[in-house]
Amino acid sequence: MKKALSVLLVLALVCTSVFAQGQQESNYPNKNINMTVPYGAGGTTDLTARALANAMGKDLGVTINIVNTAGAGGSAGTLNVQNARVDGYSLLANGMLAFVTMPINGYTDKTFRDWDVWIATYAPNVIVVPKNSPYNTIQDLIEAMRANPGQITAGTAGIGSGGHFGAEIIKQVAGVDYKHITYAGGGPAFTATLSGEVDFCPQLLAEYKDAIISGDVKALCTLSDKPITIAEGITIPSIAEFYPEVAPLLPMGEVTGILLPKGLDEASLQKLDHAFEVAIQDPAFLEFCESRSFEVTPVGRADSQAYLEEFASKVCYILYDAGAAPIDPAQFGIERL
Amino acid sequence: MAFEYIGTAFMTALQPFNLLVMFLSTLVGLVMGVLPGLSATMAIALLTGLTYNFPTQTAIISLLAIYVGSISGGCQSAILLNIPGTPASAATALDGHPMAIQGKGGLAIFLATTCSCIGTLLSVVFVMTLTPLLTSLALKFTSWEFFLLSIFGILICGTITAQAEPIKGWISGILGLIVAMVGLDTVDTIARFSYGNVNLMSGIQLIPVMIGLFGFPEIVRVFKRNLDEEITKASKFEVKKGFSLIGKRIGTVIRSACIGVGVGIIPGVGEDTAGWLSYWSTKSLAPKEEKDTFGKGNPHGVIAVETGNNACIGGAIIPVLSLAVPGSAPAAVLLAAFLMHGYRPGPLLMTESPEFLYNVCIYLALASFSMWLIALLLSKATVRILGVNKKYLMPIVYVLCVIGSYLINYNLFDVKVMFVFGLLGVVLTSMKFPPAPFLLGVILGPMLDSNLRRALKLSNGSFAPLFTRPICIFFLILIVFMILAQLGVFKFLKGKRIAD
Repeated sequence: MKKALSVLLVLALVCTSVFAQGQQESNYPNKNINMTVPYGAGGTTDLTARALANAMGKDLGVTINIVNTAGAGGSAGTLNVQNARVDGYSLLANGMLAFVTMPINGYTDKTFRDWDVWIATYAPNVIVVPKNSPYNTIQDLIEAMRANPGQITAGTAGIGSGGHFGAEIIKQVAGVDYKHITYAGGGPAFTATLSGEVDFCPQLLAEYKDAIISGDVKALCTLSDKPITIAEGITIPSIAEFYPEVAPLLPMGEVTGILLPKGLDEASLQKLDHAFEVAIQDPAFLEFCESRSFEVTPVGRADSQAYLEEFASKVCYILYDAGAAPIDPAQFGIERL
Repeated sequence: MAFEYIGTAFMTALQPFNLLVMFLSTLVGLVMGVLPGLSATMAIALLTGLTYNFPTQTAIISLLAIYVGSISGGCQSAILLNIPGTPASAATALDGHPMAIQGKGGLAIFLATTCSCIGTLLSVVFVMTLTPLLTSLALKFTSWEFFLLSIFGILICGTITAQAEPIKGWISGILGLIVAMVGLDTVDTIARFSYGNVNLMSGIQLIPVMIGLFGFPEIVRVFKRNLDEEITKASKFEVKKGFSLIGKRIGTVIRSACIGVGVGIIPGVGEDTAGWLSYWSTKSLAPKEEKDTFGKGNPHGVIAVETGNNACIGGAIIPVLSLAVPGSAPAAVLLAAFLMHGYRPGPLLMTESPEFLYNVCIYLALASFSMWLIALLLSKATVRILGVNKKYLMPIVYVLCVIGSYLINYNLFDVKVMFVFGLLGVVLTSMKFPPAPFLLGVILGPMLDSNLRRALKLSNGSFAPLFTRPICIFFLILIVFMILAQLGVFKFLKGKRIAD
């Protein structure tokens, strides 16, 4: 009798779980969603993800929890999501610079083509120098680099960081190498610039916008394709104004978005499409972007692949040509544009 | 103007709802601090998500309260269990646990909690008055200084924890440094010792190492010998005696607070290092006859460590406010929370929202009072819970070790790491190698390695800058002096003179 009862109980449990699963697919989302940020709390990607997650969660009627899984230059968290079940409850928020270069660094065989992507923001690079630096314009810096090949130091957040790409573009303009000094993040790279340990810092504008306004560092140019006004009377010129030959590589900077491995059903994806549309118009999100000088550049799921083809070609070859990535992008069908 | 801001901040903080939030947050922070494995960083990160939709001021009160609570809570498990609740209180166990064994656990907790409160308050004074000055001091630290500071930290930790044979402490520290080399290095982003494993590539996480190193040996020790009646009765707080002890050591308190703030403002080194430095300075300045009592239940040691690690809170907040660069790991999460709530710490803070500095100071001060009250109330319960027969307690501690390691990154690999380092901890402890320098080695390893290589790259491979920078020379002298002293060179010279 006891045995029969327990068998019955188990059967009942199995039935409920099957039933629950059936429901799950028809009315996504019916529980809280996890969004993995493959970096520590407080960075650019993390803050953007939190602002987006909050707004998207409101539209979906559930809470989107941020899970920070830092490590291995952002690939640990990305691989976690890539290997998780594709049920729409584990999303990824990532910067595209690190994301599209993962295969050529040998971290994974999958490329951006295996993901559904929604692109939200663009944050430009800005070249800054310490306030007592002898360089007042980007031409001063470039000339100094040409006069002392390999001796002018650039402080960045590491190989493959937004700053590294910025420095590589400066290198292409100057035609000579710089001395790459890497730090454990954008913050330490910026303090090193403040203290004068490095000659220039090519990180993202958001990381030192206020210090530019207050005059603690001098901004020489932005790697956006157009000038940026960060405060009344303070406009940072685009590098293309002085060196038009670099225009094809612009705009350079970090592009942040939401990602999900392909395989979710179309009905659920459309719900995410809608939530994304709503989130990028959310006043709190827009205000956040404004304060950090992020440009809201929404690219929906339908168009993001074409966008990423071009983006990936640009950044993968910059990294590969700099000798910082071991695998030829052509192996993954990423062509040189 | 400043007084107006202070007044408004008080009014905001004392609103019933905010007050309630403050008490609750301190309690949560304390509990997380007491439990090994739930660290301050994690506590703030979790709360950041929860407080996202709170009114701004309430959220900030809550986050600061949880920061103070979690840094202070770690001392209770360090004293009663000899397992530090957070890396910050590893040094507290040194004298706190022997005190508890002598039946003075209550007094030790009272001293630790009161000094935590005083340390935070003193650091608030620094934040309010000296922020611009201390910021410029932080910028004096470049790669060479960071390199020497990390060597110095590991050396003193080794010296303190292995009094009979400092060389064992240093060996332990170097083992920790080696472990810290695993993973992607921050200079060239090259995977070291990772064998193609993505988890190893992420590096060895600090918290699982700490839980394993400190937790396992204690668990094993309890089951190896009959120690059940060890701390069943903790003494009363002895408030009067406690205050008079602190009163007599006011010099120690102020010195440790200064050290704590100083360590706090330097980005990358945090509460843990602050505790060790305060302890070392107190011990080495103590009169000769007192020196030998350190590590055997000297209340002086507890006072120094807890003042130092809590003063680090204020210190770590200074660069957050003035540069938007955090001084320690928990402060980094705090910075994210400030940004999320629409404040933009940094050079423009004082012109854009001058009230914010005063808000932070007042909230911190009030949070430290609420921490003091709640910690003492809570300790009544912890003493009772942690005082039950250890054979029943340790299985629960073990479960907490596993959960704590898992929660850091939601990754089972970290649990395995905890297990491996737990076994290593048992071996090390049984051979009388102290685990604390090992832990500090893991904490400071990346700093030591990357700063040395960065500095050499900047100087084109020359060591000359080491001898031309004033702060470097200061550290170099201290380091050389300490090594010589431990090798017995001074004693040898003295003996020779007497013989002559």
